[in-house]
Formats: sequence, C-alpha cells, structure tokens
Amino acid sequence: MTIDTRKQIEADFNEISRMLLKLGNMSGEALTRSVWALERLDMATAHAVIEGDDPLDDLTEWIEEKCMAFGARHQPLGRDLRAVLSTMHMAVDLERIGDYGVNISRVVLALEGKSFIKPLLDIPRMSEVFSEMLHCTLNAYDTSDPEMAKRVFMMDGEIDALEKQVMRELFTMVLERADRFEQAFLLIGVARALERAGDHLTNIAERVVYICTGKSVRASDFKKRKQ
Amino acid sequence: MTNIAVSSVITGREDRDAGTEKDVHIGTRGLDLYYGEAHVLKSVSFDMYRSSVTAFIGPSGCGKSSFIRCVNRMNDFIAGARVTGELLVDGDDIYAPGTDVIALRRRVGMVFQKPNPFPMSIYDNIAYGPRLFGVTDKDQLDDIVRRSLEWAALWEEVQDKLGSSGTGLSGGQQQRLCIARAIATEPEILLMDEPTSALDPLSTARIEELIRDLKKDFTVVIVTHNMQQAARISDYTAFFLMGELIEYGKTSKIFTAPDEARTGDYITGRFG
Repeated sequence: MTIDTRKQIEADFNEISRMLLKLGNMSGEALTRSVWALERLDMATAHAVIEGDDPLDDLTEWIEEKCMAFGARHQPLGRDLRAVLSTMHMAVDLERIGDYGVNISRVVLALEGKSFIKPLLDIPRMSEVFSEMLHCTLNAYDTSDPEMAKRVFMMDGEIDALEKQVMRELFTMVLERADRFEQAFLLIGVARALERAGDHLTNIAERVVYICTGKSVRASDFKKRKQ
Repeated sequence: MTNIAVSSVITGREDRDAGTEKDVHIGTRGLDLYYGEAHVLKSVSFDMYRSSVTAFIGPSGCGKSSFIRCVNRMNDFIAGARVTGELLVDGDDIYAPGTDVIALRRRVGMVFQKPNPFPMSIYDNIAYGPRLFGVTDKDQLDDIVRRSLEWAALWEEVQDKLGSSGTGLSGGQQQRLCIARAIATEPEILLMDEPTSALDPLSTARIEELIRDLKKDFTVVIVTHNMQQAARISDYTAFFLMGELIEYGKTSKIFTAPDEARTGDYITGRFG
C-alpha cells in the first residue's frame, strides 16, 4: 500500500467522522430542545424539532452510504475496519436519539394549554446529564480517547437513577388521584425516552473504546465496579 | 454449548479451532536463518496446525518466503545458507543429521508465484513426480493424474486434452496445474509462495476456493502480499518484520484487533 493510499483512507474517513459529529450535535440538539419546549410548553419549538427530523434521517443515510463506499473502496482492516463498522452503528444510535426528540415534542403538543401536575425538576436534570454525556461521547470519538469514553458509563447510571425517581413520583401521584393518569403516562414516556437516549450514547461510548483499543467493553461492568 | 460453538453457529463457519490447536504439524524452536552474513530469520518459534491454512504476511524482505523455503529445505540450494534452531515436522527436526531430504520434499509440496508448468503434456506434468518416486503402472498413473486434477479443480476443463502442452493453458489453469502437480505425490504440507499474484481476479477466486478445499487433506502455508486474501482464506496469520515473527494468531483477531501496534500499522497500510 502506498503512502498516497493511506492519505486517501484518512481523508475519506475524516469526511465520515466529521459528518458523524455533525449528526451527533443535530440529534442532541433535537432532544434537548424538545425538553426545553416541554418545560415551557413552547409549541413552535416542538413543531420545529419534528420538522427537523428529516434532515437528520438524510444525514444518517449519507453516513451509511459513505461507510459502505469506504468499505468497498479500501477494504479496511484493523483499526480502520473497527472504525468504519462502528461508525455505521453509531449513526443509527444517534438517529434514534433524534427520534426521541420527536417523541418528546409530540408529548409537548399533547400538553398544549394544560398545566403540569408537578413542577418539572428531574426531567430537565436528565436532559442536562444527557448533554454532558453527549459532549463527552463525541469528544472521545473525535480525539480517540477511550478513558473519556469510559466516563460516559458512569453518567448513564445517573440518568437511570433519575428515571426511576421520576417513575416513582408519578406513580405515587396517580395512586393519589387517578385523573392525573394521562399526563403522568406522557411524562413517564419522556423520562423513558431520555433514559433510552442515554443508553444509545453508552453504546456509542463502548464502540469508541473498541475502536481505540480493539477490546469490547460493557458499560454495565464499569457501573458494577463503581457500586 | 461453549462460546466458540455458539459463535460458529452465529457465523455459519465451521469451528476451525476445536481440536486443531492440539495437533501441531509444523513447529519451530528458535529458528535462525543466515544467508552468509545476512541474518534473515531471527529466533522464530511458533506452531502451525494440521489441516489449517496459515498465511504469512509482511513487507518485502521480511523473511516470510525464506521461512517457507526452510520447511522443504529449499534453502539448501543457496550457497552460504545456514539454519540453526529446530524446525519440526510431526515432531521430527528436519535439519537433524541423517534427514532424508528427498523423502521430506515428497511430504512437502510447493507452488510458486508464477505458474511454471514443465514444457510437456498436462498428463506428464502431473505424472512427473509419481514417476520420479517409482510409480510406473499406467493405470495407477492414470488414477493419480485424474485424482490430482480433480483435487485441483481442473479435471473438467482438461480431461479431453491431457496430451496437449501444459504451457498452452491460461494463467489460472496453469497455476491449478502446478497445484495438481504439487499434490500428485500426496504431500502432507503444501507451501504456496504468492500463488495468485500473477493471476486475474476470477482465477484468484478459483485458487482461493481450492485452497479452502485442500485444507481438508493438507496443511497449507501461504505467503501473500494481499492482506484481504490472507483474511479470506487463512485460519491463522503470522506477521513477519525484518526477520522477526512479530505476531501470530487467529486470522480473525490479527485482522480486526491485533495485539501488536506494528501489526496494526502494517495491515492498515501505515508502512510496507
């Protein structure tokens, strides 16, 4: 393999990884904006998030196609192979996060004109933790830093704990007054979506470790160690 | 069910490793090779397994071809070549004094980079080796020629023209003829030195398919510069660099997540 070929591999993959980072930022924004819209019951923002989903799907498709072309063109091995296959999976994970943003925005639309049965505290906190996780995950991918990726595993534990807290609280409220059921059901859906978004970031962080080290890790092993 | 069995079910591939790693066919212990002053192989120690395909990869001049030429003692023909350490075939050191080199070469067949059929008929190309080893019976020779050509997946293409010259075949057919010739004496080990580097993609695919079939009956050792080929056809891969064996292991691991940084750099084209 000539030096030029190596340069071409790096240039082609660099293009793909830039787009993955862009997809990460777009998906993350969709999710955090949807929670922002929920806090304020801002219908315009909720509509904007829903409408913004198509470009996100297009970008995901673009990344998948580029990864396929990269595989066909360079027949990558070793780290290149790990990186391109992992990136394809990551794009799907990120696209799902964007979908959760759409789901939460639909909840916002369903709550139009209503008042909350309780002040929203934990759900915005989940969104904040998600943002920190996203920042950490994308940075770890960009700088090939497996230690930074492992930090994401711990943060996911925090999101999981917050989701449980939201569920507990809402269940109690429904038990007290059955007419709160509909809104409680919607808010549980929001908490669940944020928890799932955290899981997708965890998957991505696991793949960053795999790209960098060649070793498969499971976030759950790190969480257990922490406990 | 073990993890290995589960993964083989998932991948649809036979469980290549079960049992074979216990059955060492070729082994080296501190093998050094010198061409005069040049130290070509440096203390190479590892085991190759029966009925498996082992690929040797590495940049030009790394010692991989020199290594396979040690296995049938072809380096004996090079003036100033000297081997120290042990090279064991079925546990016997083939460099021990008193080794019958002719008998060894009968056990170890070889195929080269460029197809090199003898300038004689297809039939005689195959019958050459068996005749050399004393087979004179016509029926027996007919059987050997047919079986060897079938093994090499060439029989159907040449059965009607066994009397025509071997050099008149296409490049891919000539290389399969050479493989048939190499296996006509029923060796246990088949050494292949870049056997497809002079062939077109279709002929290459046929040879690769053939190598996968041949490993049922032979232990195959192949030198290749084509990393994708090594990844496609071999069970184990050895990476050589400047005469040293840098890494050796299952092909699936070497080409996805090698332990040595130098292996990773080589297979991703950072050098070589």
